[in-house]
Amino acid sequence: MTNSNGPRLPGAREWSMLTRRDLIRLAGGGVGLALAGSMLPWHTVLAAPADRGTLLVGENINSIRSQDPARTIEAAGMMIHHVTYDTLITFDREDLKTPKPLLATDWKVSNDGLVVTFSIREGVRFVSGNVLTAADVKWSLDRVLNLKANTLFLLDGVEEVIAVNPRTISIRLKAPQPSLIPILSHPGLGILDSKLVMEKGGESGPGANTKDQAEPYLNAHSAGSGPFVLTSYIPAQELVLERNTNYWRRPAQLQRIVFRHVPEPVTQALQVLRGDLDFAMSIGQDQIAPLRRSSSVDVRTSPAATTFYVLMNNNPEVGGPFSNPKVQQAVRYALDYEGIMAIAGPGAVRLPGVIPTLFPGSLNPSDAIKTDRAKAKSLLSEAGLGEVRGKLSYGSDYVSWGISYPLLAQKIQGDLAQVGINLQLDGLPIVTSLAQYRGGRNQVGVWGWAADYPDPSDFLVYAPGRVVGKRAGWLPSASPAAQQLATLADQAEAEIDPRKRVALLQDWERRMAQIGPYAPLFQPAVPYAYRSNVENVSYHSVWEVDLYPIRKT
Amino acid sequence: MHLGRYILRRLLVIPPMLVGITLLSFVLSHTVPSDPIAANLGDQAAANPVVVAAFRQRWGLDRPLPEQYGIYLWRLVHGDMGVSISTHQPVVMDLKQRLPATVELAIAALVISLVIGVPLGILSAVRRDSAIDQVARSVALVGVAMPVFWLGLVALLIFYARLGWAPSPGQLNPGSPRPPFITGFILVDALLWGRADVAKDALAHLVLPALVLASYSVGVITRMMRGSMLEVLGEDYVRTAHAKGLSRRIVTIRHAARNAALPVVTVVGLSFGALLSGAVITETVFAWTGLGSYAFSSATSLDFQAIMGVGTVVATVYVLVNLLVDVCYAALDPRIRFG
Repeated sequence: MTNSNGPRLPGAREWSMLTRRDLIRLAGGGVGLALAGSMLPWHTVLAAPADRGTLLVGENINSIRSQDPARTIEAAGMMIHHVTYDTLITFDREDLKTPKPLLATDWKVSNDGLVVTFSIREGVRFVSGNVLTAADVKWSLDRVLNLKANTLFLLDGVEEVIAVNPRTISIRLKAPQPSLIPILSHPGLGILDSKLVMEKGGESGPGANTKDQAEPYLNAHSAGSGPFVLTSYIPAQELVLERNTNYWRRPAQLQRIVFRHVPEPVTQALQVLRGDLDFAMSIGQDQIAPLRRSSSVDVRTSPAATTFYVLMNNNPEVGGPFSNPKVQQAVRYALDYEGIMAIAGPGAVRLPGVIPTLFPGSLNPSDAIKTDRAKAKSLLSEAGLGEVRGKLSYGSDYVSWGISYPLLAQKIQGDLAQVGINLQLDGLPIVTSLAQYRGGRNQVGVWGWAADYPDPSDFLVYAPGRVVGKRAGWLPSASPAAQQLATLADQAEAEIDPRKRVALLQDWERRMAQIGPYAPLFQPAVPYAYRSNVENVSYHSVWEVDLYPIRKT
Repeated sequence: MHLGRYILRRLLVIPPMLVGITLLSFVLSHTVPSDPIAANLGDQAAANPVVVAAFRQRWGLDRPLPEQYGIYLWRLVHGDMGVSISTHQPVVMDLKQRLPATVELAIAALVISLVIGVPLGILSAVRRDSAIDQVARSVALVGVAMPVFWLGLVALLIFYARLGWAPSPGQLNPGSPRPPFITGFILVDALLWGRADVAKDALAHLVLPALVLASYSVGVITRMMRGSMLEVLGEDYVRTAHAKGLSRRIVTIRHAARNAALPVVTVVGLSFGALLSGAVITETVFAWTGLGSYAFSSATSLDFQAIMGVGTVVATVYVLVNLLVDVCYAALDPRIRFG
């Protein structure tokens, strides 16, 4: 029973009936899978490819928690919201440096940097037909402030949002914050149709965290003004977007986008290879080479604004010998960066500091520390601590951007052993290891920090006393140098002049590279694959693939 | 005891058992050295005490543990299993969307296991030490020993990617329309929808994952049937049946196999429960969104309501299947009485 009788026509599926003889064979003496193969009555030729208007996407959509943009920070969710909820600001294609107007046509920053005023685009309608005004913008941003959910940090610096008139909105800040403009491109800050969402139980005022009841509605419908509309969502199964025919810009090229939950990267790769999927969003490094051998599939790796790094706890009670600056420096020299880059895969870039090279203020990759085991050994003997032992923590089931953390941890363990630093691997399921890392309980750990929004200030978290700094047990009080670095981070964050800001960031980066309790490793490149007839694909570090311009030929 | 009364008595065991199951899941989930904050809040959000407090309040995690459990039980009595932290929708709805997929897969796997395992076990016992017996024992050994993850990927590579005999992973072709939710069983819903093409597509998608999932239970059932048959074939009544001049086929099927089937029925009952809760790897490889993957993601995100929901459903199914097994005993062996 093969399909040799018929031509392998794309779009055709051959069927034949299970014969009585087949059944008897199966029942009487099946011999496992060898027989099972011949028993399969349903042999397929290439599966029916979607029409030119439909894009079939394989993605691990299990990470999506909600279709309410104000509750979304997962990358897969942001990709959806980027095309269902327009934001005030956006960025073109893969760019992370130049904010572009979207719902805001222009903006003006007051001289003291404390008030940013936006003009709201005229003629924009929501999917419901309601006209988008400054009141919707205020309502949406107020809702984020009062829901106190995952996206609240984006508006940490905001004092008040004021709808000056239907076409003007002002945002008053607690302190000058030039990163506000790029932050407003975050899909979690997409503008909602306030009238509609209020009708569905939405609440934006104080107490919204308990009063808002709009999420069930938003999980099944779109209430935005983006180029696509959510028409169906079954968590961890399927999500369907349809083109918004009344979109205020040129309508999207695709009529429909169907996301199917395919958790296993190998399965995604096989499906795109066979033509059952148009797009495999989450393949791993291992799938790159085999897919590249196919002429009908394009495989790309795009830089992701993420820092992979080794953390060494600066708190002596947790870090032990790893809180010693000489040991920290020795670790930086002991790592075999060439080998680590091989694990990171094609397209990854070696990082000299903690800010990814995609951002202004980052250092040149050629300035990165080079492996020097002799120097590492000499630093260790200068430290005079005798044998250096410790535990290396990581997520034993954690894979990010296609890179396996266990593999990385084993490499680091091996490299450090070469200079006499003995690390015991302490891999735990990510939910447990993450809690330890966030609680500042890692002696040594290997982790990553992905850009939450397109601005280098998101990486100031490594500064003493900030989010990652605390996890590394590194407070401004640790030393005068740490205090200086904390102050420098504050200055860089508030500096309005772009040139001065870049200079401050680079100064901060250089000093961090010398005394920070980190060993920056690399900036990864995310692999993905799509059929050759899919065009105009671009990958953005924050919201992944921009679905709006994609077309199929 | 009357069969009806026996069944009623067994059904009455379910509520206290569910209390036990939910309590056990609740206690075990809370012994994990982590909490749902790590699994559900982003890096920045988890560092903000205001967001953490709002999260705990929203999901009822700010209450004392006994109170949380009490609230859960109270809701459960009213048919409400709470809301999942992972999907932000009612657990009952999650289960409605996931359970049918796994039940479909488990039933298909069980049918395959029986259709292959029982005849293979009988043949193997009847023709002991013959070539068939050697093959059957090898199949059983391979089925039990083969890691399902590896087997699944290899099966996909060969039958889907290389030979093109099997359709793409998933419950339907990515391009096929999904039938409207009626029963949740895609095969049934497609037929009720009047789309035979979609039903065929669903059936085709069921074959390979069901075969892979069945690999273990085929091994177990074959071995169990073989061992049981060998024991029965040596019994006096079988020799008597042969002495009476009955054909070998009749002796084997009616006299020996029927009696040998009793322990196999027990294994089948247990296998069904295991297939239901243990399909997570097969589901992952075949992009089959069922209860197994839901149980796994609930556990990894410390989604307590979902964990207890899965526990409740699987335990109930176990009890019902075992009840069915007990009833089957009586049908197979008239000497068995309930009491």
